[in-house]
Amino acid sequence: MQLLRRFLALDVSRKPSQGQWQPVPSETLQTPQCNPAGLTVTPNPARTIYTIRISSTTFNIQNGPDFQDEVVNSETPVVLDFHAQWCGPCKILGPRLENMVAKQHGKVLMAKVNVDDHTDLDIESEVLAVPTVLAMKNGDIVDKFLSIKDEDQLETFLKKLIG
Amino acid sequence: MGNLIILDMCMCPCSQCHSHDAAQLGRKVAVVDYVEPSPRGTRWGLGGTCVNVGCIPKKLMHQAALLGGLIRDAPHYGWEVAQPVLHDWRKMAEAVQNHVKSLNWGHRVQLHDRKVKYFNVKAGFVDEHTVRGVAKGGKEILLSADHIVIATGGRPRYPAHIEGALEYGITSDDIFWLKESPGKTLVVGASYVALECAGFLTGIGLDTTVMMRSIPLRGFDQQMSSLVTEHMASHGTRFLRGCTPSQVRRLPDGQLQVTWEDRTTGKEGTGTFNTVLWAVGRAPDTRSLNLEKAGVDTSPNTQKILVDSREATSVPHIYAIGDVVEGRPELTPTAVMAGRLLAQRLFGGSSDLMDYDKVPTTVFTPLEYGCVGLSEEEAVSRHGQERVEVYHAHYKPLEFTVPGRDASQCYVKMVCLREPPQLVLGLHFLGPNAGEVTQGFALGIKCGASYVQVMQTVGIHPTCSEEIVKLRISKRSGLDPTVTGC
Repeated sequence: MQLLRRFLALDVSRKPSQGQWQPVPSETLQTPQCNPAGLTVTPNPARTIYTIRISSTTFNIQNGPDFQDEVVNSETPVVLDFHAQWCGPCKILGPRLENMVAKQHGKVLMAKVNVDDHTDLDIESEVLAVPTVLAMKNGDIVDKFLSIKDEDQLETFLKKLIG
Repeated sequence: MGNLIILDMCMCPCSQCHSHDAAQLGRKVAVVDYVEPSPRGTRWGLGGTCVNVGCIPKKLMHQAALLGGLIRDAPHYGWEVAQPVLHDWRKMAEAVQNHVKSLNWGHRVQLHDRKVKYFNVKAGFVDEHTVRGVAKGGKEILLSADHIVIATGGRPRYPAHIEGALEYGITSDDIFWLKESPGKTLVVGASYVALECAGFLTGIGLDTTVMMRSIPLRGFDQQMSSLVTEHMASHGTRFLRGCTPSQVRRLPDGQLQVTWEDRTTGKEGTGTFNTVLWAVGRAPDTRSLNLEKAGVDTSPNTQKILVDSREATSVPHIYAIGDVVEGRPELTPTAVMAGRLLAQRLFGGSSDLMDYDKVPTTVFTPLEYGCVGLSEEEAVSRHGQERVEVYHAHYKPLEFTVPGRDASQCYVKMVCLREPPQLVLGLHFLGPNAGEVTQGFALGIKCGASYVQVMQTVGIHPTCSEEIVKLRISKRSGLDPTVTGC
């Protein structure tokens, strides 16, 4: 479901500095750290909200530090799937993408971000429509797409990311 | 110069439009919004009461209830639908909640698109040009602006003097966000919130009781209000009239036991319910604003903010719009329009003021009530019985005939001046799709339509709406106002 305009502000060809998640400069609320959400890192076993790991190659982003560790600092390339409960196409794209990621045998990982839970992160990174999928390598955004893709297209996208 | 802060406690749609318009007119705009969780812990995103805990989820749940009725009618029209059909609260709630969340997202993106800075903090005045809020992580935010608009809206009241009310009851802040069915429910109140909620709860098959202290829909035409409750009573909602609750206790099995006093008999009554929903009025959300630091005056009775016809408070550059304002209708569209006009006056060189006269509205009870203009009693009070003529009709919607639905309360009346050309003072319609019916007539009435002009308008057939242009029988004549067949 394309809500509004496209993911314009982030120029994919421009590389932000290595190893750091660079949100698009925005004038929204300043948070103390560079990760927008700023909550606890490790899931407290006594207070598990939901499983982080969906499978060996897919996980949900819980919060900012989670994002920093699992995505920005990841040695393996990561695809970021921004999705929402109320988004029909997301429900189709999500499982399809998870499937294709699993087929790459660990060469690429997938992180799911629920936009309702992480609205500030999304807005700051100019994710304005769902689904949005970002390809991240060494902490940089190297590719993206904003619509449903079929399995062949996803395969091409992932292979390009893996390199 | 000319930057603007909009203060929201619940991010009403009115401030959305205001902020968009202001930003489009080239101003630096910030919106400061925060939703204090309800006593039950319910919280929500951008959009205000209407989007999250008002109009939108209400209308969707009302629709769910109406569908129940249509499904029951369906076999009469040839559909092979196995009866009875059951309703799953969880499925409805999830669908409604998802739609609301998509609207939250849309609002957030819109703010971003219009380059409006958004601060999700609880803010209050430091002085008349500065507000202060504390963000997550404890960081203090200070914002100053040339103009400030307060649009913090209202929240449901809890009858704190009733033992157990706060601990065990919920309000309209919570009902739309319940994950599990509320079950057997007691709705306390006689407002449209109370009746609309009780209406859809009954419609989806829940055992529902309404407890009223005195009259239903205070402020609305009382003849119409009685017909509304009469319809509800004949369609499964229980009414406890003239009763006031005194205590709510939780029983060992988790149910709630309510004790009340019947004011007519003086006797005490008790009942057991799964849910108690308080709908006993709304209070303006101004406590944490520190209005006194800015010098903004409020009404001593209601604590609502006092404004003039330009929406300006006692401080010239501080304005207020929406439910938080004294003497304004508590409606989304009036707040939105007031916000837009304010932006145009502040930054667009306009001098147009908001006109609060002849504002149409609709109560979305099971049989809907749409109205615009004066109630019959208000018209009589202003002009005198002799100078007022009321035309009325009991009609039967065509769609009711086949399934044999009861149309006893389907009724319309037009309140006019008696003197030719008989200016229309008010229109009241009780029937299906009342909102859709009333909207068009509101334009005519706003333009000063007369009874003569209404009668010269050809009806669209077959509709319920056409009954308005076919009104011929006056109350004064004493003739039977029942519309006979086509």
